[in-house]
Amino acid sequence: MPKCTINGKEVEVKEGTSIIEAMQQSGDRIAHYCWHPGLSVAGVCRLCMVEIEGNPRVQIACNTMVTEGMKINNTSEKVRDAVKWGLDFHLINHPLDCPICDQAGECGLQDQYMEYGKYDPEMAEHKQKKHKVVDLGPTVVLDSERCILCSRCVRFTEEVSKTNELGLFNRGDRTEIGTHDGMPLDNKYSLNTVDICPVGALTSKDFRFRQRVWYLKDAETICNGCSTGCNVKVYYNKEGFFRVKPVYNEKVNGYWMCDEGRDIYKFVNREHRLLKAQVRNASGWTEMTAGAAAKNASEVLKNTSGDSLALVLTAQYTVEEFDAIVSTFVNEFKTKKVFFWINNKETFDSFDGLLLRGDKNPNTKGLLKVLEKHGITATWADLSQGIASGSIKTVVVAGPENQVVFPDFAERVKELSKAHNLIWLQAGKNDALMALAGNVWLIPTKTFVEKDGTFINQAGLEQKFKKVTTVVSEALTLTEAALLLAGKNLAIPTTAQPFMPTNQRADQVELEARKKNEFVFRRGSL
Amino acid sequence: MSVMQNNSEKSKWYLPGVLGGLSITMKHLLKNLFNQKKMMTLNYPEEKYEYSPRFKGNHVLTVKKDGSLRCTACMLCATNCPAECIKITAAEHNDPSVEKYPISYEIDILRCVFCGFCEEACPVDAIRLGPEWQTPAVNGANFIYDINYLAYRPNLKGGIQTHVDDEERNKAGI
Repeated sequence: MPKCTINGKEVEVKEGTSIIEAMQQSGDRIAHYCWHPGLSVAGVCRLCMVEIEGNPRVQIACNTMVTEGMKINNTSEKVRDAVKWGLDFHLINHPLDCPICDQAGECGLQDQYMEYGKYDPEMAEHKQKKHKVVDLGPTVVLDSERCILCSRCVRFTEEVSKTNELGLFNRGDRTEIGTHDGMPLDNKYSLNTVDICPVGALTSKDFRFRQRVWYLKDAETICNGCSTGCNVKVYYNKEGFFRVKPVYNEKVNGYWMCDEGRDIYKFVNREHRLLKAQVRNASGWTEMTAGAAAKNASEVLKNTSGDSLALVLTAQYTVEEFDAIVSTFVNEFKTKKVFFWINNKETFDSFDGLLLRGDKNPNTKGLLKVLEKHGITATWADLSQGIASGSIKTVVVAGPENQVVFPDFAERVKELSKAHNLIWLQAGKNDALMALAGNVWLIPTKTFVEKDGTFINQAGLEQKFKKVTTVVSEALTLTEAALLLAGKNLAIPTTAQPFMPTNQRADQVELEARKKNEFVFRRGSL
Repeated sequence: MSVMQNNSEKSKWYLPGVLGGLSITMKHLLKNLFNQKKMMTLNYPEEKYEYSPRFKGNHVLTVKKDGSLRCTACMLCATNCPAECIKITAAEHNDPSVEKYPISYEIDILRCVFCGFCEEACPVDAIRLGPEWQTPAVNGANFIYDINYLAYRPNLKGGIQTHVDDEERNKAGI
């Protein structure tokens, strides 16, 4: 365990740690474009310069290992100067594209320029022109002028996705990133190259120009795209959700996530959601609020016996919700006819070796655990038989949020629609459901970003996640729906205002705040 | 509330003041009657007063030489706007040298405070506050200036060009 001193702080690191890793451990800021913890060391950007006591020259931190008693410093004048000139070289051919560039606001070059740059360019030469809008493949667009040749993306396709589409071509300042002849950048992890691009050279076609990053808030959650359960960050604002990026978790996904998972924000947005409950009886469809529709459906459930009632669950809800709805059915309605709707049985266990799994449900393990807990052994064949013979009259379905991964959706709807009453809890819109005849209750539910809960991934790892925001305010969680379907009332927890004096109105402006405002106001007039 | 009262001797001599005032009115009346061209007032809707070109009035979106919009939809004006009255939707342009352009650019002029921050924030000189100062409208919808009005309203006579041009900048290698 070598000990070193970084900017005056003593740090103890593991054997074989590079200086840059040691600096991250100690919390010191250091610029790095080509170094990425998930990739091999290239040492081409020359920006992670540090001064080591006893060495006459500054060195790069990413490819220098820490040795016992090393004294490292990256705040000295010498280092600042080296970084400044290194940055100058990076910016020689970099276009002033910030108004168009999607990376503006989270760009490494911008940050670095604000810290070390702010100089007048001393180049008399014209900028090297390269290819502007290069279509690399179905997901990524390249702007080679903006590229600073850090080779992160090239190393990603070599080392992580192992597809080797990208390469560096030509020499000197004519070097460009490109794909090998006739080969598009088309793999299932291609959008990770956009994440790791430190400048805006690689941009995602999906996110491109949709929103400036400084308008977006982010929150961590768990991807519900498949049973891997990658840790992700969703980016959203009041207009909806816009993109998903991976968050490092050594146990689950490392630094990466798949392209499929990046689409999970789509079914969350309002335009794809069921906003109001739809209730259908002999006289046609009626629109209702979600709670009213659930109450309405509870009238029917009250009059059905346990034998003729079935519950169908998809594994896209949280453990807590499964527990609530299954225990309601077992205890209140006295039925054990709870069925697990499996979407793609054949490919369930497939795995591509990196992240993608065939089971496209985030919580299969969680559902099975809850079913086991309540001793439920019913199979889908029982349900088909029950509906066909007429012994099952009323079916409650908690449909999938992510309908894309349920290719048999319409078929199953047709099969279930033979039941006399169909109560369908669903987050997204669906034509197959709207085309149903008979007694139908379509009740909107919340998606995974709108509730707290737990997903258990394929490895049995329980991952808790927090509510991000509300998209459809009146949608119900399965827990709430279970309560309402059982004929109970929802208790809305009142939030006490802990820091509010009792003798004050909630919206009362305090004298202190008013004084402060006046000060600002007067200061403006000076 | 206290009322100021002036009970001095001097205040009893009000008639000269009244007559003095009347004579000023008379003077203006006669001046305007016999010398109408120098009259200080305007018949407003027909005659309009024009401020200097530096006056910060209604917004103008500038255009390039070919008449297309200069704006790159970078949203800096919208970000910088303290009244939050600018709304832009960006889209991808077919021409790769343009890349990004606004498909809609709306200013809610009733919210606008004419501070000129949008003008200052713009890195490409695409938005300016022009010398026009009249903002009458018939209904609420007329107070939301769309892209067409901002860039190509009749008073602009085909749009206002900026002195910098993309093509020239490209050729110069900037």
